Amino acid sequence: MVQRILSLRRGILLVLMFAVLSFVIMSAPAEARNIKVGIIDCYSGPAAVYGNDALNGFKLALEEINKEGVLGGKIEFTTRDTKFKVDIGLNLAKELVMRENVDVLVGTINSGVALAVSDAVSKKEKVPFIVWISKDEKITGAAGHRYVFSTADNTAQGGKAGGVGLAKKPYKKYWIAGDDYSYGHAIADSAWKNLKALKPDVEKVGESWWKIGEPDLVPYFTSIISAKPDAVILCTGGASMTNAMKALKSTGMAAKIPSWIHTAIDHAVLKPLGAEAPEGVLGTIQYLFYYPETPENKAFVDAFQKAYGNPPGFPAFNAYLTAQYIADGFRKAGKIDKEKFVDALEGLKVKNPVGGTVEMRACDHQAVFPIYFGVTKKLPKYDFVVASDITTLKGSDVLPTCEEIKQSRQK
Amino acid sequence: MTDLGALGSQFFVGLSRAMILFVVCSGLSFVLGVLRVPNIAHGSLYMIGAFSAYSITKLVAGPAGFWLALILAPFVVALVSLVAERALFCHLYQREHLMLLLFTFALSLILGDLVKIIWGAEYKSIMAPEVFNGSVSLLGASIPRYNFFLLIVGPLVAVGLWFFTNKTKMGKIARAAAVDREMVGAVGINVSWVFAFAFVLGCFLAGLGGALVAPTVSITLGMDHNLIIEAFLIVTIGGLGNMWGAMVGSLIFGLSQAFGVLFWPQFAIVFPYMAVVIVLLWRPTGMLKSVW
Repeated sequence: MVQRILSLRRGILLVLMFAVLSFVIMSAPAEARNIKVGIIDCYSGPAAVYGNDALNGFKLALEEINKEGVLGGKIEFTTRDTKFKVDIGLNLAKELVMRENVDVLVGTINSGVALAVSDAVSKKEKVPFIVWISKDEKITGAAGHRYVFSTADNTAQGGKAGGVGLAKKPYKKYWIAGDDYSYGHAIADSAWKNLKALKPDVEKVGESWWKIGEPDLVPYFTSIISAKPDAVILCTGGASMTNAMKALKSTGMAAKIPSWIHTAIDHAVLKPLGAEAPEGVLGTIQYLFYYPETPENKAFVDAFQKAYGNPPGFPAFNAYLTAQYIADGFRKAGKIDKEKFVDALEGLKVKNPVGGTVEMRACDHQAVFPIYFGVTKKLPKYDFVVASDITTLKGSDVLPTCEEIKQSRQK
Repeated sequence: MTDLGALGSQFFVGLSRAMILFVVCSGLSFVLGVLRVPNIAHGSLYMIGAFSAYSITKLVAGPAGFWLALILAPFVVALVSLVAERALFCHLYQREHLMLLLFTFALSLILGDLVKIIWGAEYKSIMAPEVFNGSVSLLGASIPRYNFFLLIVGPLVAVGLWFFTNKTKMGKIARAAAVDREMVGAVGINVSWVFAFAFVLGCFLAGLGGALVAPTVSITLGMDHNLIIEAFLIVTIGGLGNMWGAMVGSLIFGLSQAFGVLFWPQFAIVFPYMAVVIVLLWRPTGMLKSVW
């Protein structure tokens, strides 16, 4: 008898414990929690300057966002350094998803990492992935899918902006040169295709390609000068960009033959060269801290300058947008749910730090912002060379159409 | 038909690139020859040379800063290498080459991170003084003035190095130590300090190369690893440890690149490497006599 009572007691205790435990477990999701963002990007080597700029833009945006909060919680983030390597980036992305249980993945400067993570982690594990620096058009083009988004400009867009801008110029004979890897060739193909479509009488007189990181571009440029083209489409980026600008000046090519380089007017490129950067180089970019001179842009630049000691570059702009998309996306979704978040992002318009809004195009998950086409020039106002004679190309005019995206994905 | 001016400018531009490569590679080759250390960190020292040059031009403005950087930056690198030699390398000379490769590779990563801590990840750039602006016309070719300057510095370094190794006592001891280090020790010479001196001299040349290249490129993390592969190829095709071999290798590398760009620009990248393959098939131990 006593034993039965004891076992009954034990039974009741077990039931009670179970009830308490299940209550704890059940009640957890109802409570507000923080949104976890996992950032994979390159924080070492030459690409680190872009990775850090993006991270600063993201942090600045979060300061504002977290004052108000999102769905009762905050946005928190952890970063991982890919060291510009695809295998490392892939492992880190997996780790963030499997072990840190991040709600959103964000990154990275390396197109190879972005494409690999997009395919093997984001698509497979159904985790939203917002690409914020790398410019490969395949990310939201041929290799795009439900879970991948981009707040970066891409090669199709950069090339098209170059093509549209150059078509307005009188040049006929073009030379194409650049870094011999995916970014260089993608920009070249896109620029040439669009230029040829807008101005069918242009002619390609030659091409030269150098290995990525090539320290000495002088022999390439002297051989281009001796071929005497009307203009050059130069497809380079990152550290090679400064080399290209220096060689453009030292060989005298900048004064003799106009060249267009996507991102040549980027402040990160022009600043280290100071007042010695070549004038007359054509370039395109989606963000300039001194243009347009809107009160919004001024406020953004001042806040950024105060927090990090230098003005924001285009990665900071992209990252600022990314933070807005994450905050407004979850607000619109109404709960922390990956599928609802993806649905919410499609067509979502967020605040542009230079004023106005930026829409996330529903058909390909590409953020649509204008591109500035300008030429490098010394102005007495600054002790570095800036972009001047800027024309603004509308975002929708320089992006591939939804129809073109659809076709590229069917291939 | 490519005109003569184009040929000429490619020739001189290729030659000037070869001069920078030679300055760096002669140092690498010297360390290889005397100490038998395949120093992968040589590229990092070249990078430190470029970054030091940047800092010096920031401290001293104007053309004086540039000349001062050209003189002082190699000494900064020499100092770093002296510390590395006394603290680390001097204990490791007897190890096998694989160990030394791994060790110097590790050192290159450490130095790379050190550069990031000291100078940050941003691209740096320095400008050559006003006198080097514009280009020089030579036999119908137009060559950037700075490249012309390199054409003068390269041979000076070569002659200086030749003079040191052949005409000075220290140089002769170093050469003797390269052939038979035990014998040199046996005649009562402090081999340890001979080695330290040889190592520092090799690294000094890496620093000089870095300072010389600084005005023509963006000074950035990763410039070490771009260079070191080319440098090893050059000392291999020239003949390991042979100073004139480094010169021949640099000329082959620089000129094949410059002319490759002119004649077949789409595939210019492969030319220097094809030249390397051809040389190694034809003369597996390099163009000149290897000391190994």
